[in-house]
Amino acid sequence: MDAQRILMGVVGRPHGVRGLVRVHSYAAVPADLASYGALSDDRGQSWTLSWRGEGIAALTDASGRTIADRDEAAKLVNRKLFVTRDRLPEPDEDEFYLADLVGMRAVERTEAGERSLGKVLAVHDYGAGPSLELEGGALVPFTRACVPDISVAENRLVVAMPDEMEVRDERNGDDPS
Amino acid sequence: MARSVWKGPFVDGYLLNKAEASRASGRNEVIKIWSRRSTILPQFVGLVFGVYNGHKFLPVQVNENMVGHKFGEFSPTRTFTGHSSDKKARRG
Repeated sequence: MDAQRILMGVVGRPHGVRGLVRVHSYAAVPADLASYGALSDDRGQSWTLSWRGEGIAALTDASGRTIADRDEAAKLVNRKLFVTRDRLPEPDEDEFYLADLVGMRAVERTEAGERSLGKVLAVHDYGAGPSLELEGGALVPFTRACVPDISVAENRLVVAMPDEMEVRDERNGDDPS
Repeated sequence: MARSVWKGPFVDGYLLNKAEASRASGRNEVIKIWSRRSTILPQFVGLVFGVYNGHKFLPVQVNENMVGHKFGEFSPTRTFTGHSSDKKARRG
């Protein structure tokens, strides 16, 4: 993944005949997409976005010309919109952008030194706290106990793999496998 | 239909024993469980469970707001990872 450019949205189908388009925002708060200023697309063009309705936006190019024609808007369908990483505000303490965490090298401290655990493939959060998926399939809770040290500058984090305790009903077993 | 109140919450009994053992040990550990049907009780707050979703054990960090829900609610069996964009993760 290109760490400097972060995918923030995709241009959807045209809306109406005056050059408006639907924009699928991937931002945590979808409306925040307009607050990041100029967005670059996958062809290197720069666009400024202003919302005209829920999910509907007008796009202005780098020269200040706003798309005003449906045919022109139709040519922008599926354009990916990026923002550079340095434009994102600094996160609070103990908060990390998923874009920073994904791709980080994970290491485990051992008596002999450090052991590589591969890269962070994904960050999952299903309402019960985030967890990191590492290469090899290991899932690590994103807690201070399990991830004590994170260095965004070095693109590396230290993982203390938790002990695992299996719990199953000895009487009839609830493991379907 | 909601479960009758007089029955109390359902929880597989052996989970309680293991949760207490884990809390007493004070170690950094994940309690791997298959029991998605069990209700999260106040005794589980602060512990980390690995709840099986048919494929792997997803870590579930139990907090006060989760009491009364089932473990399975936090370990979806169908997943969509989405896009990272400007989303943030807070270290618990």
